[in-house]
Amino acid sequence: MTSTPSKAGAATPATLSKVEQAKADLCGLELAPRLKDLAAAGWEAMDEATLTIRLKWLGIFFRPVTPGRFMVRLRLPNGVIRAEQLARLADSVDRCGEHGSADITTRQNLQLRGLLLEDMAPLLTDLEAVGLTSRQSGHDNPRNITGNPLAGIDPEEWIDTRPLVEAIQAALLGPGGPRNLPRKFNVAVGGAPDSFLLHNDLAFLPAQRGADLGFTLMVGGFFSAQRNALAVPLGLWAPAEALPLVTRAVLLHYERHGNRTQRQRSRLMYLVDELGLEGYRRAVLDTVAELGGDEALAALEPHDGSHAVQRAPRNLCGVHPQKQPGLYWVGLNVPMGRLDAAAMMGLAELARSYGSGELRLTESQNVLISDVPGAHLAALLAEPLLQRLPVAPGPLQAEAVSCTGNRYCSFALIPTKTTAQAVVEQLEQRLELPHGVRTHWTGCPNACGQPYLGQIGLMGAKARQDGQMVEAAKIYLGGSMEGGGQLAALHDKGVPLSDLPDVLEALLVEHFGARRRTAEATAAPDR
Amino acid sequence: MPSSAHLDPAPDPRQLPSPGDAERWLWLQALRRLPRLPLEPWLVALETGAIAAESDLLACLLPHGNGAELARLLEWWVRQPDPVPPLPRLPGPWRDAVVAQRLRQLLEQPLAPQRQAALLALLGHQREAVDATRLCRLLEQPGARAVRHGALEGLSLGLAAWPRRLLRGCLERVATDLDPELAAGAVDLLDRLPAARLSLIPLGRRALEPEVAARLRRRIARRGADPLLLVVHGRSGGLVPPELVELAAELEQRRGAPVALQALTAEPPGVGPHRSENRPLGLVPLLLLPGSHVRTDLPALRANLQRSGPVRCWPFLGAWTAWQQALAEELAGLAATGQPPWLLHHPLEEGLPSRYLSHLTHCTAAVPVAAAAQDVAQRLEAKPCGAGMAPLALARCRLTEALSGQDDAMASTPLLCRPALRAVLLDLLESLP
Repeated sequence: MTSTPSKAGAATPATLSKVEQAKADLCGLELAPRLKDLAAAGWEAMDEATLTIRLKWLGIFFRPVTPGRFMVRLRLPNGVIRAEQLARLADSVDRCGEHGSADITTRQNLQLRGLLLEDMAPLLTDLEAVGLTSRQSGHDNPRNITGNPLAGIDPEEWIDTRPLVEAIQAALLGPGGPRNLPRKFNVAVGGAPDSFLLHNDLAFLPAQRGADLGFTLMVGGFFSAQRNALAVPLGLWAPAEALPLVTRAVLLHYERHGNRTQRQRSRLMYLVDELGLEGYRRAVLDTVAELGGDEALAALEPHDGSHAVQRAPRNLCGVHPQKQPGLYWVGLNVPMGRLDAAAMMGLAELARSYGSGELRLTESQNVLISDVPGAHLAALLAEPLLQRLPVAPGPLQAEAVSCTGNRYCSFALIPTKTTAQAVVEQLEQRLELPHGVRTHWTGCPNACGQPYLGQIGLMGAKARQDGQMVEAAKIYLGGSMEGGGQLAALHDKGVPLSDLPDVLEALLVEHFGARRRTAEATAAPDR
Repeated sequence: MPSSAHLDPAPDPRQLPSPGDAERWLWLQALRRLPRLPLEPWLVALETGAIAAESDLLACLLPHGNGAELARLLEWWVRQPDPVPPLPRLPGPWRDAVVAQRLRQLLEQPLAPQRQAALLALLGHQREAVDATRLCRLLEQPGARAVRHGALEGLSLGLAAWPRRLLRGCLERVATDLDPELAAGAVDLLDRLPAARLSLIPLGRRALEPEVAARLRRRIARRGADPLLLVVHGRSGGLVPPELVELAAELEQRRGAPVALQALTAEPPGVGPHRSENRPLGLVPLLLLPGSHVRTDLPALRANLQRSGPVRCWPFLGAWTAWQQALAEELAGLAATGQPPWLLHHPLEEGLPSRYLSHLTHCTAAVPVAAAAQDVAQRLEAKPCGAGMAPLALARCRLTEALSGQDDAMASTPLLCRPALRAVLLDLLESLP
């Protein structure tokens, strides 16, 4: 049985938008064999749809702020990367000189900047050689699938999310996976009590059903300039082995019925709204049956949506014992998630020298080195690179999350990363905080920096100061990632960046128990 | 909330909410999504100062422009007083004949270095080969750092479009520049060119800034090298003279990749030695003349090897310009008495081999003398007194053995046993991909 097409999803060729027309004309994956020729002809020779839309199917992003210098976004399922893979990426960034850098994203992923179009064909070949891919990592595709960054080493985990995330990715990138979604789609798998994932279109949260541990399905979470929503329970429970097929079914249904006429109203939650939760659940079940038959359908059970995720994510920086006796993970803070080639090479070397050669990327844009024997800890902690990437960052620095900002993004209204770093450093000099405070910085209403999840959220804006328009930030307060979560609410519609440290200082004192340091302490040389 | 569906198809610039207004961002996004937007009123508004040239606005306007409109925008930008407003390096039809022409004109004017640099990057975007000379010149010549960096970025952005020889020479020179950032950028661009090792390996023998040298080592290490099969004539029974064996061993060490020898007098190899999964086998004929070995045996060998994987076949050694120059220098050293040196070679067929020898004679100013091993003594009777002599033979063979009785010990020394020629050959072979 198949679902009835929804009204919004039924776009006829005559009504296709520019994006939909581009996707319908040619799938970006078809460009892979032509990359070398495209580079030889130059990016200016490409039509706009190829340059700005189709290349993203290969993970290649034209950057309007740095035309000619491209970005490549990878896929790192569950945020896991091996040292030799990171070293290979570091080499690509290194040869871009002053233009090269890499950002850890809020989806446990990496994106490389500063690349020339000539770099793409050899880079994609090299990625494949070291077991990486950048396929379908941008635009209307299922984005990098996130999981517990501590999967497999976490003393608190309910379930190791790595094989599940891998299996879902394989299902989505395989022959039956989606190639032309109406919009982007975020999938995540929780495995621990602090796996807050309700900002995803589809989140699998660990949930008991009787004696069985499986996952309850949450759907519809997303942020945008128009609307922000946390995922809601779909009322279904699935065993771990069903996750790839269920994900395919959800995406297949979305591919068929999502809104293709209004891109601002095409994320999954709008489809849920249109069909109603009950109608949407039935449609998903129908699609599961279509793909997997009665046996697949029988694996799914009704569920009340209760789950085992109750806490906000841990601060993963520092030295922590793994569930494997004698081994530790060492969490390093990457200021605002930005790495240069030297830091990438250094991290790869540290992982090889002191751990098992594996690294993990976190949604808070930090990096973990796993499997470090206790006997190696002292030497690792003495490594010079840890001066730049500290294991014990300040309470604001540890979980400060930032979008790219206007250095690379034409939507951003402020230089997000540099502003965030400067303000955080100032505040940590001025204040003592009893606990960490999550600040989320984003440059525009698209909310890539997830400001609504921050205990303090900041969004780039403009404001008038002394009669002139200046760069500013809106302030949001009250975001929570505990239990059912809560979105931050607007507190101030525009604080000039020059006033931001003072305003945030007052907020931290008033709402978060911060205490002002004495003048002597502030002036101390080690601060 | 405005959307492209609701926005006037030709919105009035004066309606644009000012910076700081909550509606501005949504308004601009709607503007960006319009299928078409006439730019004329917006250009007028910018030129008259009615609206400010905020980067968010330009990002939405430029994709709608044509070449003439963007050229006009460039004119406006150049006229703006300091501080320099951000040049809208944003998507749009920047690659356009009108834009290119205007860029060249503007670059003839006296401009502040930062502005010149921004224009040079845009000139690189045009990817017109005619601009390579200008970009290379501004990169190489002493001048404002910003301008040189702008020229380098222009070359980077149009990399595939520039005449290869001009570009390679320029970058090789800039790689030794005292500005380490420029030098590093040149190394990274050389690394992106085909057969990059031909430039990178020789650079390693030159004096570079320490950080540039380190970068060069990383590039070379990352690039790796093809396995090589050196094809030599060999002696009867497939024996290979020891000087060739030593050459191969040293070369393998320097390249960090397998190097094997194949004598044409031996049984042909099966799949070829040390085949790599990801790299072709480099087939290097260390043959000095285009005789039947080059014209017949070598294609057969290549065809045989290609059955088991890709093969990159190089010209025979005698055809390499760098080898011919090195041979000329070696022979010039033998002409000290004023007599042109003799170059003894095996008797050749008519046609291509003879024509090649004429060319070689022209390059080296040596006197070619054909001599079979058994005739050497007789032929040498005609040699002018004091004239130097060398065999046109890479390694020991019957000809060099026949010469071994000469008073001049060097007369019988094969070319590979002459230190200068051996060093050149090793450098050349090391530079191969």
